[in-house]
Amino acid sequence: MIRAIRNEYYRSPVFILWVGLLSLMLVVGLIAGIIVLLNGLDVTNLTNQVPWGLWITVDLSSIALGAGAFSLSAMVYIFRVERLRPIARIAVFTGLIGYTGAMLALFMDIGRPERFWHPMVYWNVHSVLWEITMCVMLYSTVLILEFAPVLFESRLITRFFPNAPRLGHTIHKFAPIGAVIGLGLSLLHQSSLGATYGVLVARPIWFKPSLPVMFILSAVAAGVTFVLGITVLYENIVRRRQISVQVRNSLGVVAGIVLALYLYLNLWDFLATSYYSHLPARVESIELLNRFAPYGATYWLVEILLGALIPVVILLVPSLRKRDGLVMAAMVFVIAGIVVNRWNVTLSGLIVPMDWSPGVAEIFSVNAYRPSWIEWGVGLGVLGYILMAYTLGLRFLPLYGADHHEEVVEPEPENPGSPEHAAATA
Amino acid sequence: MSENLNHSEFLTRREFMAMMATAGISVGVATALSEVDVLRDLIEQEVKIDLQGAIEEEEMYGGHGPSGKHRWGMVINLSKCIGCQYCVYACQAVNNVTDDMRWNVYKPDVTETGIEFHMTRPCLHCQDAPCTTVCPVQATYVREDGIVIMDYDICIGCRYCQVACPYGARSFNWKQRLEDSGYQEEWGSAEVDIRPRGVPEKCTFCVHRIDRGLPQGLVPGIDPQATPACVNICPVDARIFGDLNDPNSPVSQAIANNPTFRLREDLGTEPNVYYIPPEGMAI
Repeated sequence: MIRAIRNEYYRSPVFILWVGLLSLMLVVGLIAGIIVLLNGLDVTNLTNQVPWGLWITVDLSSIALGAGAFSLSAMVYIFRVERLRPIARIAVFTGLIGYTGAMLALFMDIGRPERFWHPMVYWNVHSVLWEITMCVMLYSTVLILEFAPVLFESRLITRFFPNAPRLGHTIHKFAPIGAVIGLGLSLLHQSSLGATYGVLVARPIWFKPSLPVMFILSAVAAGVTFVLGITVLYENIVRRRQISVQVRNSLGVVAGIVLALYLYLNLWDFLATSYYSHLPARVESIELLNRFAPYGATYWLVEILLGALIPVVILLVPSLRKRDGLVMAAMVFVIAGIVVNRWNVTLSGLIVPMDWSPGVAEIFSVNAYRPSWIEWGVGLGVLGYILMAYTLGLRFLPLYGADHHEEVVEPEPENPGSPEHAAATA
Repeated sequence: MSENLNHSEFLTRREFMAMMATAGISVGVATALSEVDVLRDLIEQEVKIDLQGAIEEEEMYGGHGPSGKHRWGMVINLSKCIGCQYCVYACQAVNNVTDDMRWNVYKPDVTETGIEFHMTRPCLHCQDAPCTTVCPVQATYVREDGIVIMDYDICIGCRYCQVACPYGARSFNWKQRLEDSGYQEEWGSAEVDIRPRGVPEKCTFCVHRIDRGLPQGLVPGIDPQATPACVNICPVDARIFGDLNDPNSPVSQAIANNPTFRLREDLGTEPNVYYIPPEGMAI
């Protein structure tokens, strides 16, 4: 009976319209991607002064939102927080989507995409970017292995390979090892993504030891909030709870505390670099940024207030956390905060020109960047991929529920018909 | 549900004393040991050995690092430069570089005392080059002779080197170039291939001339065939090239006999390009 209702739901005009919209985004992304591959990065608005832009922001945001996978896997499989087991799968799925999305963006961003595998062969152990590439590739392998059991259990696979769940079960036995390796790899590269900027001595606005730590904290907070938010969203779409109040509370508290830590570190980053000290190069950089871009405004309003402070309150106050609307708002705010943060970090260092001249004439103009339509097109495509993957994943894969390897039996709803049926027939 | 508070035994007085004494003595020993000169030297030496090991490892890794016989460098005399930009154009002809990708740039500048001077900047060929350490695939590296060079066949086009270079000395091939830069007719024929799409490029100190000239017995900096185009063309000899390891080379002599500085020395990049200050600039 429940299947009949589901089918009815998935054939509703709204769902078809949604899938149609996502398909359109994917087509736009595909066309833009082909244009980039044919013409090179000339079709972007990137310059020699601002060689990184929208796609790097997409890549960094996507990886950050995937951080829920390693955080929650570690909690479930290493620290044995049994309560969180029901969300282990959706967390790993989120990681898989986030990382593949990021790799799509990176593939478009590098000038020689056919050589994406070079870092695995031509090592430069001194390069933080080499470390990131290796970690991301290895961790994606871990994610695929962690996710394989879920895939092997789905009807898509069992229809043709009835024994697949048993193979999945065998792989799943190694989940704790995968979680340990995943934890190490993720801590490393999520932090070194911040270090990518933090180690560059010539850019005073970047050069600071706080960036790696701020990147990992914001990623864990955003990743866990994202898993929680997407779950609540899904629950509201199918009109059926997927996780218990306890799981919801745990996720909220974990995300809220990490986000509060991030906020605290941000406070001290600001105090140490801009309030209690006055490095002329940094002061000038920030003045320039505020004069030519809404840097300070977006930092305080979107990154701090909207992206961290308000979500911290929503996630940590029990009476607010139990309201679905607020939890979803917190997810939206946190995503906005992380995207704007990654954009601001990337662009702030590049917009401010580097002064290497021994003279005092103002010969270096402030750089500007606005993504081209093709760049937006590719960005839209990556977003379309992420949303489509979620839509299909939630539709066809057993992403919630018990973490065992028999077919997940759907219990009959206690009050058959009323909310689900109303939503489906509406 | 009552919690079990008696999960383990308490310390006896003797155990407590022994534990406190051991901890106290450990702190004392560690503090005392760090005052022993022999141990200090040993640790310091180990750090030195580590550094040495790192350098050797780097050399084994394909012979990178400025440890060779020669160390090529340049001296740019800002008090002589007249701002004719011939060096810019000659470079664009010989290395086939377009206007928007210049390897060697010119900027009119002014000293703190208000005196105008002409600033030019090739790649500075840093010995501790930020662009090479960040490259994820070692596509750009410092050669044994100090020249920072690109391997266009390994580069993946991530542009981290561009972001990391403190001097903006790198240009990216955003598109596939098909035509010459247009400077050949007036400033000399192109001596190197056009770079492929999707990789950055930069000044090479005309490395093709050096690598071809040395086996023929030519001396870079003295014989024009083995000297960078920008140095040869300069009508006022404001650019000098040569071997910084050779005390008698033109560059070593210029550095010995003039006050010189390097760009952004505070960053620790150790450039191989030295500047003689313009009039009115104290260094």
